[in-house]
Amino acid sequence: MGLNLKELVIREKTTLQVFSSKVIAIDAYNAIYQFLASIRGPDGLQLADSEGRITSHLSGLLYRNINFLSLGIKPVYVFDGKPPSLKTAEIERRKQIKKDATVKYEKAIAEGNMEDARKFAQQTTSMKDGMVKESKQILTFFGIPYIDAPSEGEATAAHLTNTGQAYASASQDFDSILCGAKRLIRNFTNSGRRKIPNRNTFVEIEPELIETQKTIDALGVSREQLVDIGILIGTDFNPNGFERIGPKTALKMIKQHSRLEDIPQIQEQLQAIDYEQIRKIFLEPLVANVDEIVFGNVDYDGMMNYLVKERSFSEDRIQSSLNRLKKALERKSQNLDQWFS
Amino acid sequence: MTFEAKTSGSDDLKAIISAISTLVEEATFVATAEGITFRGMDPSHVALIDISWPNSAFEKYECDSDIKFGVRIDEFSKLIKRADKKDSIEISISEQNMLLVTVGKNKKYKMRLIESSATDTPLPKIPYDSKIILSSSRFDKILGDVQVVSDYLTIHTSDSKADFSGKGDSGEVVIELEKNTDEIGEISSKEDSTGTYSLEYLNPVVKAVGANAGQITCEFSSAKPIRIEFKVANIGRIHFYLAPRVES
Repeated sequence: MGLNLKELVIREKTTLQVFSSKVIAIDAYNAIYQFLASIRGPDGLQLADSEGRITSHLSGLLYRNINFLSLGIKPVYVFDGKPPSLKTAEIERRKQIKKDATVKYEKAIAEGNMEDARKFAQQTTSMKDGMVKESKQILTFFGIPYIDAPSEGEATAAHLTNTGQAYASASQDFDSILCGAKRLIRNFTNSGRRKIPNRNTFVEIEPELIETQKTIDALGVSREQLVDIGILIGTDFNPNGFERIGPKTALKMIKQHSRLEDIPQIQEQLQAIDYEQIRKIFLEPLVANVDEIVFGNVDYDGMMNYLVKERSFSEDRIQSSLNRLKKALERKSQNLDQWFS
Repeated sequence: MTFEAKTSGSDDLKAIISAISTLVEEATFVATAEGITFRGMDPSHVALIDISWPNSAFEKYECDSDIKFGVRIDEFSKLIKRADKKDSIEISISEQNMLLVTVGKNKKYKMRLIESSATDTPLPKIPYDSKIILSSSRFDKILGDVQVVSDYLTIHTSDSKADFSGKGDSGEVVIELEKNTDEIGEISSKEDSTGTYSLEYLNPVVKAVGANAGQITCEFSSAKPIRIEFKVANIGRIHFYLAPRVES
């Protein structure tokens, strides 16, 4: 899933603190999906309340946003609307992966192979009815604004970085760069170690910042050409990309021939996809225009009530987390940065 | 490349490491022919420590080319704490990126250095209107007195006196120090100044350097950062900068 631009873009290590007091447009589906996939017990099962309803996404949103707000970061969540029709193939492909993973998960459980079970369980992750509404409910308790995008969320998030309403967009998907985001933050969370599935090793996960202009300058291509490179590698709208073309070859071809239509060896494959439409999705995306992004106050009681009474969260843990947030919001030391220049 | 530095006792180095550990987890030191320096901020950029430790402060010091070396401060601190008060501490760097630390006569530690990610930290440029000099033990007491009721210390200076105050949910406190008394070395004020600073940052650093610093100098202006200078007998100087609290 997603576009493999990792090798080409210029990624700079950063920390969450530097985004203090900045508005960050977060790809909501991308974040929620990650919570659903990763917040699981050792058996691969997600957290659930007393009625068996999944709560992994609520737990993720709760702790992640306490952290953001405590650091003075101003998150705004952008939810996907209707996917472009060209995405159908990709959506079908993902469904199939989930189906296959479900079968493999059950087999691994039957064999008592917990390591595999957890891995396949993660691959079955899907958003269920109601989860978006529940997530929005949590954001409302935080006073955190959210935006419903008409189409892809990352396109509207990218748009906000261009209107100046957001400093950067946050997503794991490199699509945001093709959508024209000024800055993209990946791993927008505290740095820490994550286990690599199937291996007994850990990787250090650190937030990284990608400035689109820097990447474009370094590659020596235009934004339009970057989109063509993306299409060669494979986007959500042509998930298989082109045969035997990886990031490096794609860059080379575009630098040599300047655009898809002029690369002789790919013409047959090119005719099979609606590349003009794909270009349009990235270059002239359907986005929401937002007049003003308004941040509210935290509704501590509302949050407690909902999470503890309705969703079976531990009262002690929520209370102490919310107290930590309260304390952090009351403490308002300025930082030294403004006196450096 | 030669770099070797040896202290005569362990107290000063303990104080320095302890002060740094109140702000950062990883520290990058710079060693030059003139001595060792450190400059770093806490992750939220509220406080900054700037240390310069001249070669004259060491029993033995040798450095023929500038080097940077990074350590995990908690690991370094654990190691230094194994030194008795009178133990000398000698540090040098091996080619395998290890810090060699000889404590006393015969304890030889090797500690892995970390890749120093530090970028150059600038110093805040602030005009200071007011200046107070007092003993570090007196200042430590004042912080303790204020802490009882508040998380913040407010300092107000005028021509002839300095007020230290705090206010919290349970009550408030004012400690007035008059000019020309035993309690205070000097008060000077170009303009009446009032600044409020977080005890969460002040307390640990004053405690860390406290016993080793004789006098401290606080310089500040209204609603601007404060700079506290600790003069430590053998270290040269430590400057601690702290951003003000804004009234919400």
